[in-house]
Amino acid sequence: MSVVQQKNMETDPLIRDLGHDDHFHAHHHGDKYQTNFLTTYIFSQDHKMIARQYLITGVVWAIVGALMSLVFRIQLAYPDADVSWLRPFLGKWITLGDGGVGRLDPEFYYALVTMHGTILVFFVLTAGLSGTFSNLLIPMQIGARDMASPFLNMLSYWFFFLSSLVMMYSLFVSTGPFSGGWTAYPPLSALPQASSGSGAGLTLWLVSLVLFVVSILLGGLNYITTVLNLRTKGMTMWRLPLTVWAFLVTAIIALLSFPVLASGFFLLIFDRSLGTSFYLSDIFINGQALDRIGGSPILFQHLFWFLGHPEVYIIILPAMGIVSEVMAVHARKPIFGYRAMVYSMLSIGFLSFIVWAHHMFMSGVNPFLSNFFVIFTLIIAVPSAVKVFNWLTTLYGGNLRLNTQMLFCIGFVSMFISGGLTGIFLGNSTIDIQQHDTYFVVAHFHVVMGVAAFFGMFAGVYNWFPKLFGRFMNDTLGKIHFWLTIIGAYAVFGPMHYIGLGGVPRRYYRFDNFDAFRDFDDLNQFITIAAIVTFFAQLLFVVNFFWSIWKGRKLTEKNPYGSNSLEWTTPVNTIHGNWPDKLPVVQRWAYDYGKDGKDFIPQHKPMEEGEEDSSH
Amino acid sequence: MAHLNYEAAKRVAYRGFVILGVVTIVEVFIALLGKGYIVDGFHLSRPVMYLSMICLSLYKAYYIIFEFMHMRYELPGLVRSVLFPTILLIWVIIAFFYEGDTWFHWREAAREIPAEMQLGKPSGNSGLVPVHPTDSTESVHGVPADSAKPEGHGGPSHSH
Amino acid sequence: MMTTDQSLQKPVSNWDGGREPFKASYGKLMMWYFLLSDAFTFAGFLISYGALRFSSPTWPVPDFVFSSLPGGIHHKPLIFVTFMTFVLIVSSVTMVRAVQEGHRYNKKGVALWMMLTIVGGLIFLACQAWEWSTLMGKEHMTIHVNPFGTHIESGTYLDGDGHDVQKGDQFVAGKSYLIHKHGDEWAPLRYQTESGEVKQQQFGPKAFGALFYFITGFHGFHVFSGVVFLSIILVNVLSGIYANRKNHYEMVEKIGLYWHFVDLVWVFVFLVFYLL
Ligand code: HEM
Ligand SMILES: [Cu+2]
Repeated sequence: MSVVQQKNMETDPLIRDLGHDDHFHAHHHGDKYQTNFLTTYIFSQDHKMIARQYLITGVVWAIVGALMSLVFRIQLAYPDADVSWLRPFLGKWITLGDGGVGRLDPEFYYALVTMHGTILVFFVLTAGLSGTFSNLLIPMQIGARDMASPFLNMLSYWFFFLSSLVMMYSLFVSTGPFSGGWTAYPPLSALPQASSGSGAGLTLWLVSLVLFVVSILLGGLNYITTVLNLRTKGMTMWRLPLTVWAFLVTAIIALLSFPVLASGFFLLIFDRSLGTSFYLSDIFINGQALDRIGGSPILFQHLFWFLGHPEVYIIILPAMGIVSEVMAVHARKPIFGYRAMVYSMLSIGFLSFIVWAHHMFMSGVNPFLSNFFVIFTLIIAVPSAVKVFNWLTTLYGGNLRLNTQMLFCIGFVSMFISGGLTGIFLGNSTIDIQQHDTYFVVAHFHVVMGVAAFFGMFAGVYNWFPKLFGRFMNDTLGKIHFWLTIIGAYAVFGPMHYIGLGGVPRRYYRFDNFDAFRDFDDLNQFITIAAIVTFFAQLLFVVNFFWSIWKGRKLTEKNPYGSNSLEWTTPVNTIHGNWPDKLPVVQRWAYDYGKDGKDFIPQHKPMEEGEEDSSH
Repeated sequence: MAHLNYEAAKRVAYRGFVILGVVTIVEVFIALLGKGYIVDGFHLSRPVMYLSMICLSLYKAYYIIFEFMHMRYELPGLVRSVLFPTILLIWVIIAFFYEGDTWFHWREAAREIPAEMQLGKPSGNSGLVPVHPTDSTESVHGVPADSAKPEGHGGPSHSH
Repeated sequence: MMTTDQSLQKPVSNWDGGREPFKASYGKLMMWYFLLSDAFTFAGFLISYGALRFSSPTWPVPDFVFSSLPGGIHHKPLIFVTFMTFVLIVSSVTMVRAVQEGHRYNKKGVALWMMLTIVGGLIFLACQAWEWSTLMGKEHMTIHVNPFGTHIESGTYLDGDGHDVQKGDQFVAGKSYLIHKHGDEWAPLRYQTESGEVKQQQFGPKAFGALFYFITGFHGFHVFSGVVFLSIILVNVLSGIYANRKNHYEMVEKIGLYWHFVDLVWVFVFLVFYLL
């Protein structure tokens, strides 16, 4: 062993003296897992490697999804521009008109919008965010050697990978990928002949998402049982870092909502492939009544949104958890209202299951029933506000380190407030009559979910990059990235609220044939330019990310941020099983910052004589 | 996990068979009695019949979960963590069924709309509708089956 | 207020870490929570069934639809499916016995009772195959066509069907009928309503047939995969690998949970399709 390695493996005296000996090396596992390239990097069962796999797959998908959005934004801003320069990438989807003017095929425009939504919602912000950080942080922060079932955990990633492959493949089929919107409403989705994308493209889309559900369930079962059963000695539930709470609640929501999506998809698959009529009724094609009746397209919407709404919290809760943890560490203050944070997450989790039809106010839901959905929806504002105030109070009077991850935390709170406010508008069914299916809704969910969740993810990546890759990301570049991103995000989505209130509908190919919307041409161009700039700002992150994996400043000490949670007691270069020898035993909660004149007190440090437990 | 001794546990298993079997037979009996198969001309009112069958089925479910799946011998926390989430389904059931009922009423209401305002015009013949493998809700929609035929009348938007 | 090192003084609770809070292994918890999520899948189906049924003006009456027995016996409502229910109950009991023998480390007992459980599962699947093939082959109900209709008004038949209906038979609203198929032709009967109109029998709601095959098929698929898992575990039991494991026959317990769950789902499938 080299000197560096020895220093690396040197045991923390607190763990050596007070740790718990679980006879790790006497067990059959140990390093047997990682004996060759294949089992170390590809079919790894180590949670840290699986986290990296999730993250990198997520980054790749994020780039693909963002590029798609640029293409359709260009279409919206400059519908008459010649885009033949896109032909090398999009091939036949750029049709050449008179004089070689290239136009984006309208059908493909819809396909791009659909794929953008699907990819970002499911592959980036669900798998890429919760998959990465649940895997990385749950075992390390609760003091476990690995997930409860490393094997199922590996399967979870590979189902996601398979699902990714199928979706990727669907981009290249000759009839084009699915084009009916990420919500896949019938009848467009139930009738393969409805549009070219509803054929093979949608079949692949459905296969991909069913595989995705399997992946989510395998992951979720693991996260839940790991948090329950594998906490180290002393790690009571009330001592868990808020990240772990967030991942736990997320996994529970996913476990209960994704199966219902699967039910909806199975029925849809039957309608498409076997000619049943679960979702079809009263359809006229070219004036002829279709012989498939007795079902209801609204049924699919109910099944879809029973997942769909919880899904938005599946996306945002991990970001909330990450923000709470990172913010406390870099404000050098205990998180304000720890228990209120937990209870608000639990109540958000519960409420998210009873509000789904607020997406369907305009679909013809019974108006009497809508009243209840309005009330339940507006109640969600309460726990959301509790969280916001707790973050603000945590920041207030803190000894802030304004590094990149902290900036992203603050940006998250800003975005969440902005988007939450518009949510309250939309939650009122009467107001929603005006705003449904306009750019106001697009602005709402991009701000509150899209950007906010990305900010949480960035905060997490910048903060835990040293645990993932043993090096730091460049902070200066990170700050530039942050400022460009937050300004860009507001520049893109701010004006969208305005044009949405002006009545501009979403999912239209071009607006210049409508007199009413002509006034917004300039704003649409502004939005597109802002989007392009913001996209290039993200390249700073990508460059920083990959450059830092190999060339970043090396992590030299175990606990660079002076953090309390257990992942920072593991060796600098992470090892299989996380701790070389004994497991740390937890003595206190994760947020003893600035207590009794001490900057921070790690979780495995025993209470001192006369010290008060500050965890409640 | 054996909280009962072997003999007692065995008895629980066989008692389970008897209980579930008897309850099932009672359920079927209620169904047949209620619908007039057993005593000629005797019917049970639907709410009574449905409610008793639902309650008996819930009892069967309870028995399977608590005895066969050993839930009775698990810690209360586990019991709660598995059973509480199913409470969510109550609201789902209310909302979905209410919606289904709404679809029905709106289709009924659509029947009241004057024929010329409907998408498919009525065929105007005796009501002797050519048979398609379609369901009886069809006449309710005011969309007679023959409008599906090419020679049928198109909707107003296609008439000229 | 805690003053000194509490981890030594406080009475230890199951939740303090380093132990299983529910005194159940992670494997068993995973099985429980998987079943919970699977229950939501089935709930999605069954609740959709309810919504569509509520949206339909009529719905076939189960004791009219499900009234055949093997050997060409008709008009014996619900007898066959009651038998199927019994098969599942018995196989659940045998599964319970297998788990109990596992607690006694009685390898032979476990194997015997598991074998009986597998047999039960196979009988159930065979019954289902018969039920489906009768409905499809003899009564011509498919996922596209549902010949089981319900009269929405009273009237008198103008035709006979050569089976149960004679010309001139009277019927009341709510009476069920089955439209027969002669060769490739559907033969719906004509009837005269009380107001004198001549009408023809209409097909029943399509959703009924499709939902029936879909949901019982999904349940049958669970039974089938249960039989496969049971067989694999049976082989493992016989090979003796569980005898040496630290948690012994816990695998039998876990598959037992799954098997009972299949029975549990059937309780509800039975309720909504055959009773209500
Ligand atoms: C105070 C809290 C919130 C309220 C009251 C609220 C309300 C609503 C309503 C009523 C709609 C439907 C608008 C329409 O289609 O006409 C909507 C759309 C949406 N919301 Fe929210 N929301 C809230 C927070 C959130 C959060 C936290 C997220 C995600 C993390 C989110 C994500 C979405 C998404 C993705 C959509 C649009 C889906 C689509 O149609 O494609 N919302 N919101
Ligand atoms: Cu929502």
